Amino acid sequence: MNNQLRHRILLIEPSQIIATGLANMIGRHRIFETPTILSDVDKYYTINRDTYDVMIVNPSVFNFRQRFDIRHMLSIDNNTALLIISYGINDENMLYQYDGCISIYDSAEMIEKKLLTAVDSLNGTPKSESDELSGREREILAAVAKGKTNKEIAGIFNLSVYTVVTHRKNISRKLGINSIAGLTVYAMINKLIDVKDYSRNTAEND
Amino acid sequence: MKNTLYSEGMKMADLISSDPSLLIVIARLDIKLGFGDASVADICKRYRLSKNLFLMICDIYSFDGFKPSTDNLTLDDIPHIISYLKTSHKYYTSYFFPRLRDDIHLMIKACNESDRKIMNKFYDDYDAEVRKHFDYEEKTVFPYIETLLANGNTGKNYNIGKFEKNHSNIEEKLNDLKSIVTKYLPETCSSPARYDVLCDIFHIELDLSKHTLIENELLVPLVKRQERNE
Repeated sequence: MNNQLRHRILLIEPSQIIATGLANMIGRHRIFETPTILSDVDKYYTINRDTYDVMIVNPSVFNFRQRFDIRHMLSIDNNTALLIISYGINDENMLYQYDGCISIYDSAEMIEKKLLTAVDSLNGTPKSESDELSGREREILAAVAKGKTNKEIAGIFNLSVYTVVTHRKNISRKLGINSIAGLTVYAMINKLIDVKDYSRNTAEND
Repeated sequence: MKNTLYSEGMKMADLISSDPSLLIVIARLDIKLGFGDASVADICKRYRLSKNLFLMICDIYSFDGFKPSTDNLTLDDIPHIISYLKTSHKYYTSYFFPRLRDDIHLMIKACNESDRKIMNKFYDDYDAEVRKHFDYEEKTVFPYIETLLANGNTGKNYNIGKFEKNHSNIEEKLNDLKSIVTKYLPETCSSPARYDVLCDIFHIELDLSKHTLIENELLVPLVKRQERNE
Protein backbone atom coordinates (compact mmCIF):
# COMPACT_ATOMS: atom_id res chain seq x y z
CA MET A 1 0.00 0.00 0.00
CA ASN A 2 1.52 3.32 -0.87
CA ASN A 3 1.74 6.33 1.37
CA GLN A 4 -1.19 8.17 -0.13
CA LEU A 5 -3.56 5.50 1.07
CA ARG A 6 -2.32 5.59 4.62
CA HIS A 7 -4.62 7.14 7.15
CA ARG A 8 -3.39 10.38 8.62
CA ILE A 9 -3.80 10.67 12.33
CA LEU A 10 -3.72 13.63 14.67
CA LEU A 11 -2.97 12.85 18.29
CA ILE A 12 -3.83 15.36 21.01
CA GLU A 13 -2.31 14.14 24.24
CA PRO A 14 -0.64 16.19 27.00
CA SER A 15 1.68 13.44 28.22
CA GLN A 16 4.77 13.25 26.07
CA ILE A 17 5.48 9.70 27.21
CA ILE A 18 2.06 8.43 26.25
CA ALA A 19 1.94 10.43 23.02
CA THR A 20 5.35 9.29 21.80
CA GLY A 21 4.71 5.67 22.77
CA LEU A 22 1.33 5.56 21.08
CA ALA A 23 2.59 7.34 17.98
CA ASN A 24 5.41 4.80 17.63
CA MET A 25 3.04 1.87 18.00
CA ILE A 26 0.63 3.24 15.43
CA GLY A 27 3.34 4.29 12.99
CA ARG A 28 4.50 0.70 12.65
CA HIS A 29 1.20 -0.31 11.11
CA ARG A 30 1.35 -0.07 7.38
CA ILE A 31 -2.00 1.54 6.79
CA PHE A 32 -1.44 4.30 9.33
CA GLU A 33 1.04 7.10 9.17
CA THR A 34 2.92 8.00 12.31
CA PRO A 35 0.53 10.42 14.01
CA THR A 36 1.18 14.12 14.32
CA ILE A 37 1.31 14.99 18.01
CA LEU A 38 -0.14 18.07 19.68
CA SER A 39 0.22 18.53 23.42
CA ASP A 40 -2.82 20.73 23.87
CA VAL A 41 -5.88 21.84 22.06
CA ASP A 42 -4.84 25.48 21.59
CA LYS A 43 -2.37 24.48 18.90
CA TYR A 44 -5.11 22.53 17.17
CA TYR A 45 -6.83 25.65 15.96
CA THR A 46 -3.70 26.93 14.27
CA ILE A 47 -2.93 23.90 12.08
CA ASN A 48 -4.42 22.69 8.83
CA ARG A 49 -6.56 19.89 10.18
CA ASP A 50 -8.45 18.94 7.04
CA THR A 51 -5.82 16.41 6.04
CA TYR A 52 -6.41 14.14 9.02
CA ASP A 53 -9.02 11.44 8.85
CA VAL A 54 -8.50 10.10 12.35
CA MET A 55 -8.20 12.07 15.58
CA ILE A 56 -7.15 10.57 18.85
CA VAL A 57 -7.82 12.89 21.72
CA ASN A 58 -7.28 12.82 25.44
CA PRO A 59 -10.52 14.34 26.77
CA SER A 60 -8.58 15.94 29.62
CA VAL A 61 -7.47 18.67 27.22
CA PHE A 62 -11.05 19.93 27.47
CA ASN A 63 -12.83 21.13 30.54
CA PHE A 64 -15.55 18.92 31.89
CA ARG A 65 -18.42 20.63 30.13
CA GLN A 66 -16.68 20.67 26.77
CA ARG A 67 -16.04 16.93 26.92
CA PHE A 68 -19.66 16.19 26.15
CA ASP A 69 -19.29 17.45 22.65
CA ILE A 70 -15.75 16.93 21.50
CA ARG A 71 -16.71 16.72 17.85
CA HIS A 72 -18.19 20.15 18.07
CA MET A 73 -15.22 21.52 20.01
CA LEU A 74 -12.87 20.26 17.30
CA SER A 75 -15.29 21.21 14.51
CA ILE A 76 -15.04 17.78 12.88
CA ASP A 77 -17.77 16.05 10.94
CA ASN A 78 -18.61 12.39 10.60
CA ASN A 79 -15.97 11.87 7.94
CA THR A 80 -13.32 12.02 10.61
CA ALA A 81 -12.99 9.18 13.07
CA LEU A 82 -12.69 10.30 16.68
CA LEU A 83 -11.10 8.11 19.32
CA ILE A 84 -10.22 9.01 22.86
CA ILE A 85 -7.37 7.97 25.09
CA SER A 86 -8.32 6.70 28.46
CA TYR A 87 -6.07 6.42 31.50
CA GLY A 88 -8.76 4.74 33.52
CA ILE A 89 -12.49 4.72 33.88
CA ASN A 90 -14.67 6.66 31.49
CA ASP A 91 -17.93 8.37 31.95
CA GLU A 92 -20.33 6.14 30.04
CA ASN A 93 -22.42 9.17 29.17
CA MET A 94 -19.67 10.48 26.98
CA LEU A 95 -18.77 7.34 25.09
CA TYR A 96 -21.54 7.58 22.49
CA GLN A 97 -19.78 10.36 20.65
CA TYR A 98 -16.57 8.46 19.90
CA ASP A 99 -15.66 5.86 17.33
CA GLY A 100 -13.41 4.13 19.81
CA CYS A 101 -11.58 4.38 23.09
CA ILE A 102 -7.92 3.48 23.45
CA SER A 103 -6.80 2.51 26.91
CA ILE A 104 -3.16 3.08 27.83
CA TYR A 105 -3.05 -0.61 28.79
CA ASP A 106 -4.12 -1.82 25.33
CA SER A 107 -1.77 -4.08 23.38
CA ALA A 108 -0.53 -3.03 19.94
CA GLU A 109 -2.98 -5.49 18.37
CA MET A 110 -5.85 -4.09 20.36
CA ILE A 111 -5.05 -0.53 19.32
CA GLU A 112 -4.72 -1.58 15.71
CA LYS A 113 -8.09 -3.31 15.87
CA LYS A 114 -9.76 -0.27 17.41
CA LEU A 115 -8.29 2.05 14.79
CA LEU A 116 -9.35 -0.23 11.95
CA THR A 117 -12.88 -0.47 13.33
CA ALA A 118 -13.06 3.29 13.65
CA VAL A 119 -11.80 3.78 10.11
CA ASP A 120 -14.30 1.24 8.81
CA SER A 121 -17.18 3.05 10.43
CA LEU A 122 -15.83 6.13 8.69
CA ASN A 123 -16.40 4.52 5.33
CA GLY A 124 -20.05 4.28 6.24
CA THR A 125 -19.83 0.57 6.79
CA PRO A 126 -20.85 -0.67 10.18
CA LYS A 127 -19.08 -3.93 10.97
CA SER A 128 -22.25 -5.97 10.88
CA GLU A 129 -22.91 -5.11 7.26
CA SER A 130 -22.62 -8.09 4.96
CA ASP A 131 -19.68 -8.38 2.66
CA GLU A 132 -21.93 -9.31 -0.26
CA LEU A 133 -21.70 -6.97 -3.18
CA SER A 134 -24.75 -4.86 -3.92
CA GLY A 135 -26.34 -4.93 -7.37
CA ARG A 136 -24.73 -1.66 -8.35
CA GLU A 137 -21.34 -2.85 -7.09
CA ARG A 138 -21.62 -5.99 -9.22
CA GLU A 139 -22.39 -3.89 -12.29
CA ILE A 140 -19.44 -1.62 -11.62
CA LEU A 141 -17.18 -4.58 -10.95
CA ALA A 142 -18.16 -6.08 -14.31
CA ALA A 143 -17.32 -2.81 -16.04
CA VAL A 144 -13.95 -2.62 -14.27
CA ALA A 145 -13.22 -6.18 -15.32
CA LYS A 146 -14.01 -5.27 -18.92
CA GLY A 147 -11.25 -2.68 -18.71
CA LYS A 148 -13.41 0.44 -18.42
CA THR A 149 -11.91 3.49 -16.73
CA ASN A 150 -13.56 5.26 -13.82
CA LYS A 151 -14.57 8.08 -16.13
CA GLU A 152 -16.20 5.69 -18.61
CA ILE A 153 -18.01 3.90 -15.81
CA ALA A 154 -19.26 7.22 -14.43
CA GLY A 155 -20.66 7.95 -17.90
CA ILE A 156 -22.34 4.57 -18.30
CA PHE A 157 -24.12 4.65 -14.94
CA ASN A 158 -24.61 8.37 -14.79
CA LEU A 159 -22.59 8.73 -11.58
CA SER A 160 -19.86 11.11 -10.53
CA VAL A 161 -16.31 9.81 -10.80
CA TYR A 162 -16.06 10.32 -7.06
CA THR A 163 -18.98 7.93 -6.49
CA VAL A 164 -17.41 5.36 -8.79
CA VAL A 165 -14.18 5.57 -6.80
CA THR A 166 -16.11 5.07 -3.57
CA HIS A 167 -17.87 2.03 -5.04
CA ARG A 168 -14.56 0.61 -6.16
CA LYS A 169 -13.05 1.08 -2.73
CA ASN A 170 -15.99 -0.71 -1.18
CA ILE A 171 -15.79 -3.54 -3.71
CA SER A 172 -12.09 -4.05 -2.99
CA ARG A 173 -12.62 -3.93 0.73
CA LYS A 174 -15.46 -6.44 0.62
CA LEU A 175 -13.68 -8.87 -1.65
CA GLY A 176 -10.15 -8.44 -0.34
CA ILE A 177 -9.01 -7.92 -3.94
CA ASN A 178 -7.36 -4.71 -5.11
CA SER A 179 -5.80 -5.16 -8.53
CA ILE A 180 -7.82 -4.96 -11.72
CA ALA A 181 -6.43 -8.34 -12.73
CA GLY A 182 -7.63 -9.85 -9.45
CA LEU A 183 -11.06 -8.24 -9.73
CA THR A 184 -11.32 -9.58 -13.26
CA VAL A 185 -10.63 -13.10 -12.05
CA TYR A 186 -13.37 -12.71 -9.46
CA ALA A 187 -15.79 -11.35 -12.05
CA MET A 188 -15.17 -14.28 -14.36
CA ILE A 189 -15.27 -17.02 -11.77
CA ASN A 190 -18.61 -15.61 -10.71
CA LYS A 191 -19.79 -15.20 -14.30
CA LEU A 192 -20.24 -11.45 -14.04
CA ILE A 193 -18.44 -11.20 -17.36
CA ASP A 194 -17.66 -13.60 -20.16
CA VAL A 195 -14.26 -15.28 -20.22
CA LYS A 196 -13.67 -14.03 -23.74
CA ASP A 197 -13.63 -10.47 -22.40
CA TYR A 198 -10.47 -11.39 -20.55
CA SER A 199 -8.34 -11.42 -23.66
CA ARG A 200 -9.17 -7.76 -24.22
CA ASN A 201 -8.16 -6.86 -20.73
CA THR A 202 -4.57 -7.06 -19.64
CA ALA A 203 -2.59 -6.50 -16.51
CA GLU A 204 -1.36 -3.20 -17.98
CA ASN A 205 -4.63 -1.60 -16.96
CA ASP A 206 -3.57 -1.44 -13.34
CA MET B 1 12.43 -1.08 18.69
CA LYS B 2 16.16 -1.32 18.19
CA ASN B 3 18.14 -4.54 18.05
CA THR B 4 15.53 -6.10 20.23
CA LEU B 5 16.93 -9.49 20.94
CA TYR B 6 20.17 -10.09 19.17
CA SER B 7 23.65 -8.97 19.99
CA GLU B 8 27.04 -9.41 18.40
CA GLY B 9 28.23 -11.47 21.35
CA MET B 10 25.67 -14.21 20.95
CA LYS B 11 26.53 -17.50 19.34
CA MET B 12 25.47 -17.82 15.75
CA ALA B 13 24.00 -21.25 16.51
CA ASP B 14 21.86 -19.79 19.29
CA LEU B 15 20.61 -17.10 16.95
CA ILE B 16 19.38 -19.73 14.52
CA SER B 17 17.70 -21.79 17.25
CA SER B 18 15.97 -18.72 18.60
CA ASP B 19 14.41 -18.05 15.21
CA PRO B 20 14.81 -20.63 12.45
CA SER B 21 13.43 -18.20 9.90
CA LEU B 22 16.87 -16.56 10.08
CA LEU B 23 18.28 -19.56 8.24
CA ILE B 24 17.16 -17.92 5.05
CA VAL B 25 19.10 -14.79 5.98
CA ILE B 26 22.37 -16.57 6.60
CA ALA B 27 21.89 -18.63 3.45
CA ARG B 28 21.44 -15.48 1.39
CA LEU B 29 24.51 -13.92 2.92
CA ASP B 30 26.29 -17.12 1.92
CA ILE B 31 27.35 -17.87 5.48
CA LYS B 32 28.22 -21.56 5.55
CA LEU B 33 26.89 -23.83 8.26
CA GLY B 34 29.36 -25.63 10.48
CA PHE B 35 30.42 -22.53 12.35
CA GLY B 36 30.72 -24.32 15.70
CA ASP B 37 30.45 -21.92 18.60
CA ALA B 38 31.47 -18.83 16.68
CA SER B 39 29.77 -15.64 17.77
CA VAL B 40 27.88 -13.27 15.51
CA ALA B 41 30.85 -10.89 15.68
CA ASP B 42 33.29 -13.69 14.67
CA ILE B 43 31.20 -14.66 11.68
CA CYS B 44 30.69 -11.08 10.54
CA LYS B 45 34.44 -10.51 10.72
CA ARG B 46 35.14 -13.68 8.76
CA TYR B 47 32.68 -12.72 6.03
CA ARG B 48 33.64 -9.01 6.13
CA LEU B 49 30.05 -8.09 6.99
CA SER B 50 29.21 -5.23 9.25
CA LYS B 51 27.73 -6.43 12.51
CA ASN B 52 25.19 -3.65 12.53
CA LEU B 53 23.90 -4.58 9.11
CA PHE B 54 23.71 -8.26 9.98
CA LEU B 55 21.83 -7.61 13.23
CA MET B 56 19.56 -5.14 11.47
CA ILE B 57 18.56 -7.70 8.83
CA CYS B 58 17.99 -10.33 11.55
CA ASP B 59 15.75 -7.91 13.44
CA ILE B 60 13.78 -7.19 10.27
CA TYR B 61 13.15 -10.89 9.71
CA SER B 62 12.41 -11.81 13.29
CA PHE B 63 10.18 -8.98 14.41
CA ASP B 64 7.14 -8.02 12.41
CA GLY B 65 6.67 -4.30 12.49
CA PHE B 66 10.35 -3.64 13.23
CA LYS B 67 11.30 -0.23 11.90
CA PRO B 68 14.78 -0.38 10.45
CA SER B 69 17.10 2.59 10.56
CA THR B 70 20.35 3.42 8.84
CA ASP B 71 21.72 5.33 11.83
CA ASN B 72 24.34 2.69 12.60
CA LEU B 73 25.08 1.71 9.02
CA THR B 74 27.77 3.08 6.75
CA LEU B 75 28.21 3.45 3.01
CA ASP B 76 30.40 0.33 3.10
CA ASP B 77 27.25 -1.66 3.84
CA ILE B 78 25.70 -0.84 0.47
CA PRO B 79 27.46 -3.59 -1.54
CA HIS B 80 26.43 -6.16 1.07
CA ILE B 81 22.82 -5.04 0.90
CA ILE B 82 22.86 -5.29 -2.88
CA SER B 83 24.39 -8.72 -2.78
CA TYR B 84 21.75 -9.78 -0.25
CA LEU B 85 18.96 -8.44 -2.46
CA LYS B 86 20.38 -10.14 -5.55
CA THR B 87 20.49 -13.48 -3.78
CA SER B 88 16.89 -12.99 -2.68
CA HIS B 89 15.88 -12.25 -6.25
CA LYS B 90 17.55 -15.45 -7.34
CA TYR B 91 15.67 -17.34 -4.66
CA TYR B 92 12.38 -15.82 -5.77
CA THR B 93 12.85 -16.29 -9.49
CA SER B 94 14.62 -19.60 -9.69
CA TYR B 95 13.15 -21.37 -6.72
CA PHE B 96 10.11 -19.83 -5.21
CA PHE B 97 7.97 -18.57 -8.07
CA PRO B 98 8.52 -21.71 -10.16
CA ARG B 99 7.37 -23.73 -7.17
CA LEU B 100 4.28 -21.58 -6.79
CA ARG B 101 3.60 -22.01 -10.49
CA ASP B 102 3.87 -25.80 -10.20
CA ASP B 103 1.55 -25.81 -7.22
CA ILE B 104 -0.95 -23.62 -9.04
CA HIS B 105 -0.87 -25.96 -12.03
CA LEU B 106 -1.54 -28.89 -9.74
CA MET B 107 -4.29 -27.00 -7.98
CA ILE B 108 -6.19 -26.02 -11.11
CA LYS B 109 -6.18 -29.53 -12.49
CA ALA B 110 -9.27 -29.99 -10.35
CA CYS B 111 -10.97 -26.90 -11.81
CA ASN B 112 -13.22 -26.65 -14.82
CA GLU B 113 -11.64 -25.54 -18.05
CA SER B 114 -12.79 -21.95 -17.87
CA ASP B 115 -11.51 -21.38 -14.32
CA ARG B 116 -8.29 -23.10 -15.28
CA LYS B 117 -7.77 -20.67 -18.12
CA ILE B 118 -8.57 -17.66 -15.95
CA MET B 119 -6.16 -18.70 -13.22
CA ASN B 120 -3.43 -19.53 -15.70
CA LYS B 121 -3.64 -16.16 -17.33
CA PHE B 122 -3.72 -14.32 -14.02
CA TYR B 123 -0.65 -16.12 -12.81
CA ASP B 124 1.25 -15.78 -16.11
CA ASP B 125 0.63 -12.03 -16.12
CA TYR B 126 1.70 -11.78 -12.51
CA ASP B 127 4.81 -13.82 -13.13
CA ALA B 128 5.78 -11.52 -16.00
CA GLU B 129 5.20 -8.48 -13.81
CA VAL B 130 7.39 -9.86 -11.04
CA ARG B 131 10.18 -10.66 -13.48
CA LYS B 132 9.98 -7.16 -14.91
CA HIS B 133 10.14 -5.71 -11.40
CA PHE B 134 13.29 -7.67 -10.48
CA ASP B 135 14.79 -7.12 -13.91
CA TYR B 136 14.54 -3.38 -13.52
CA GLU B 137 16.33 -3.54 -10.19
CA GLU B 138 19.02 -5.89 -11.51
CA LYS B 139 19.64 -4.09 -14.79
CA THR B 140 19.07 -0.46 -13.89
CA VAL B 141 19.07 0.22 -10.16
CA PHE B 142 21.89 -2.00 -8.90
CA PRO B 143 24.30 -1.17 -11.75
CA TYR B 144 23.61 2.52 -11.15
CA ILE B 145 24.51 2.14 -7.48
CA GLU B 146 27.57 0.06 -8.26
CA THR B 147 28.85 2.68 -10.70
CA LEU B 148 28.11 5.40 -8.19
CA LEU B 149 30.18 3.59 -5.57
CA ALA B 150 33.03 2.88 -7.94
CA ASN B 151 33.34 6.09 -9.93
CA GLY B 152 31.25 8.66 -8.17
CA ASN B 153 28.44 10.36 -9.97
CA THR B 154 28.43 9.29 -13.60
CA GLY B 155 26.48 12.30 -14.71
CA LYS B 156 23.76 10.03 -16.00
CA ASN B 157 20.28 11.28 -15.63
CA TYR B 158 19.33 8.86 -12.89
CA ASN B 159 19.13 8.93 -9.13
CA ILE B 160 17.79 6.65 -6.45
CA GLY B 161 14.81 8.94 -5.97
CA LYS B 162 13.47 7.70 -9.29
CA PHE B 163 13.60 4.14 -8.05
CA GLU B 164 11.92 5.14 -4.82
CA LYS B 165 9.15 6.88 -6.71
CA ASN B 166 8.46 4.07 -9.14
CA HIS B 167 9.07 1.14 -6.86
CA SER B 168 6.09 -0.95 -7.84
CA ASN B 169 4.17 -3.07 -5.45
CA ILE B 170 4.35 -6.74 -6.33
CA GLU B 171 2.66 -7.82 -3.13
CA GLU B 172 -0.77 -6.52 -4.06
CA LYS B 173 -1.60 -9.20 -6.61
CA LEU B 174 -0.21 -11.86 -4.35
CA ASN B 175 -2.67 -10.75 -1.74
CA ASP B 176 -5.44 -10.85 -4.35
CA LEU B 177 -4.41 -14.36 -5.29
CA LYS B 178 -4.65 -15.33 -1.64
CA SER B 179 -8.23 -14.06 -1.45
CA ILE B 180 -9.15 -15.82 -4.68
CA VAL B 181 -7.68 -19.16 -3.64
CA THR B 182 -9.07 -18.96 -0.10
CA LYS B 183 -12.52 -17.62 -0.83
CA TYR B 184 -13.56 -17.52 -4.44
CA LEU B 185 -12.36 -20.50 -6.42
CA PRO B 186 -15.31 -22.89 -6.23
CA GLU B 187 -15.23 -25.69 -3.68
CA THR B 188 -15.36 -28.15 -6.54
CA CYS B 189 -11.89 -26.95 -7.44
CA SER B 190 -10.26 -28.57 -4.42
CA SER B 191 -7.10 -30.59 -4.05
CA PRO B 192 -4.24 -30.88 -1.59
CA ALA B 193 -2.29 -28.53 -3.87
CA ARG B 194 -4.72 -25.74 -3.06
CA TYR B 195 -3.47 -25.74 0.53
CA ASP B 196 0.12 -25.80 -0.73
CA VAL B 197 -0.56 -22.75 -2.90
CA LEU B 198 -1.84 -20.86 0.11
CA CYS B 199 1.12 -21.88 2.27
CA ASP B 200 3.43 -20.71 -0.52
CA ILE B 201 1.70 -17.36 -0.70
CA PHE B 202 1.75 -16.72 3.05
CA HIS B 203 5.41 -17.59 3.14
CA ILE B 204 6.46 -15.44 0.21
CA GLU B 205 4.26 -12.53 1.20
CA LEU B 206 6.09 -12.25 4.50
CA ASP B 207 9.48 -12.66 2.86
CA LEU B 208 8.71 -10.05 0.20
CA SER B 209 7.53 -7.57 2.79
CA LYS B 210 10.90 -7.85 4.59
CA HIS B 211 12.70 -7.63 1.26
CA THR B 212 10.87 -4.42 0.39
CA LEU B 213 11.69 -3.03 3.82
CA ILE B 214 15.40 -3.62 3.19
CA GLU B 215 15.13 -1.88 -0.17
CA ASN B 216 13.10 1.11 0.96
CA GLU B 217 14.41 1.67 4.48
CA LEU B 218 18.05 0.62 4.18
CA LEU B 219 19.21 0.72 0.58
CA VAL B 220 17.46 3.89 -0.56
CA PRO B 221 18.50 6.09 2.40
CA LEU B 222 22.11 4.87 2.22
CA VAL B 223 22.36 5.50 -1.51
CA LYS B 224 20.87 8.96 -0.96
CA ARG B 225 23.59 9.58 1.57
CA GLN B 226 26.18 8.52 -0.99
CA GLU B 227 24.59 10.75 -3.64
CA ARG B 228 24.79 13.72 -1.32
CA ASN B 229 28.49 13.05 -0.81
CA GLU B 230 29.14 13.36 -4.51
